Amino acid sequence: MMELLPVASLLMLVSAGLAIMLLDVFTKGRAELPFVTTIALLAAAAISAAALFAPAPTDVPAFITDYLSVDKYGLFFDVVIALGAALASLLAGGYLREHGLERGEYYVLILFSALGAMVMARAVDLLTLFVGLETLSLGVYSLVGYRRTSARATEAAVKYFLLGSFASAIFLFGAALIYGATGHTGFRSIGEVIAAGHAPVMLVLLGLAMLVAGLGFKVSAVPFHMWTPDAYEGAPTSTTAFMSVVVKSAAFAVFLRLLAVGFGDELSRGAGGWPALLTILAAVTMVYGNLAAVAQSSVKRMLAYSSIAHAGYLLLGLAAVGTKPAEATSAVLYYLAAYTVSNALVLGALIWSGSHGKEATSYADLAGLGRRHPAVGAAFLVGVLSLMGFPPTAGFFGKWYVFSAAVQADMVGMTILAVLSSAVGAFYYLKVLVYLYMKSPEEGAPVAVPMKSSYVVFALVLAAYFVMKMGLTPARYLDAALAAASGLIG
Amino acid sequence: MDVGIGEYLALCSILFGIGAIGFLTRRNMLIQLMTIEIMLNSVVFMLLAFNRVHTGSQAGQVFGFFVIAVAAAEAAVGLAILISYFRIKNSVETDKADLLKH
Repeated sequence: MMELLPVASLLMLVSAGLAIMLLDVFTKGRAELPFVTTIALLAAAAISAAALFAPAPTDVPAFITDYLSVDKYGLFFDVVIALGAALASLLAGGYLREHGLERGEYYVLILFSALGAMVMARAVDLLTLFVGLETLSLGVYSLVGYRRTSARATEAAVKYFLLGSFASAIFLFGAALIYGATGHTGFRSIGEVIAAGHAPVMLVLLGLAMLVAGLGFKVSAVPFHMWTPDAYEGAPTSTTAFMSVVVKSAAFAVFLRLLAVGFGDELSRGAGGWPALLTILAAVTMVYGNLAAVAQSSVKRMLAYSSIAHAGYLLLGLAAVGTKPAEATSAVLYYLAAYTVSNALVLGALIWSGSHGKEATSYADLAGLGRRHPAVGAAFLVGVLSLMGFPPTAGFFGKWYVFSAAVQADMVGMTILAVLSSAVGAFYYLKVLVYLYMKSPEEGAPVAVPMKSSYVVFALVLAAYFVMKMGLTPARYLDAALAAASGLIG
Repeated sequence: MDVGIGEYLALCSILFGIGAIGFLTRRNMLIQLMTIEIMLNSVVFMLLAFNRVHTGSQAGQVFGFFVIAVAAAEAAVGLAILISYFRIKNSVETDKADLLKH
């Protein structure tokens, strides 16, 4: 049994998922499932956080390390993913109950999707990566279409599913080409064969391009972003929170590991290799995401486009990994942790603003809310300022580290573009605050009344604590990110 | 005639291309689901063909089995989503899916 200790957090989620299914049946749906789910996820986060600060385990059996890494990079993402999923399940506890949607399977799907995300973040083999990716995706398709009687939710699920499976097929074709070119599915062996020059270059480059396209879809990089606004808007808001934090973290985690370990050789990093490809993707993604977000009237849809823009900044960090591995990797890790808590905070505040029969989704719904309900306003304020990158919040240091890594990697022009496009971002983020504090609801318009839910309040307090803590003492969190990055770069 | 890896690769690429073009041009979601299955089948075929070249391990064969299993799970989830969509819309045409605008 002891040899399974390095994957204890994964086993924790599997057994919790199975136990909750039984619990839901035997208590006839009366159990406090959000509470149990959150405890399980926080326990998984605690296990991994403890392992993150302990010395690395020795003599882990090969049947684990050939497929799942036990390094600090994986552990760091365990914590981020479990925390993000815990916030999402707390928000779901308030949201689903308020809107009369609560059924046990939602929490089971969250647990199993989080498991898939963790497997992805730890994957060191194309096979494990694929299985993790599909475990995550199949769960999230169902979470999006969870409100079966809603035309918008099912439409969002159909679009997400069709495009998602198409992207998976492209990813798989790329994986098959890489296997054909190198004869291996493990990232490290792939990297060794390519570096030794034994692999056909055309086959490798074509396979790499298809892998980037498949993973680019999951991180919603332009031009593979078409599903993002629709899926984010149509899904229950707690699912939107889950998608924007967990799916994004897991996809970026494995993206970075695959590129750094599998394609870290001179040829793939050279002039025509992936850093150049990712730089172009990053530029298009951040500019498009920010400009499209300005035109939205729904806050949920605005947040979808803003998540595209954030994917652009992260892709910039990923491109910098080619020349400055340690700095860029730790910056991306810090950014993902900061984005997880900030975005969960804003979406949680949006959930909090609505109550039964009246969800708050548009800017107009938020008019004057900050003056009538100062606590809701404060939650929005902290979260929006962090997404905008305003000091001293987590989001500010996230942007700071990523942009300075890009400058060190000689991408000055791209960094200027990123700063300019995040200035555009300030416009639509501040619009939220303008509506909250300076506008009044129109005559006769339905007035949003915040829901009463201790789950949502707890989630917001937890998220706000980390947003401020990561902003006030960023060094501690950056040290953890650096330790995680050193586990990957070696 | 001797069938080498080149012929297999050509066949898989054609199959994958048929699937991809079908997905992008057809407007019926059920048919789009089928085209995705064609794409996945071409991947399985290619993994098996490559395994004939890389005889050192059976990684390609094993990967193929996993793709088949996951494709089945994907089809199950996809059909469930399509059915719940059909119940509301009475149609599986992508042109009718226009509630959520860009």
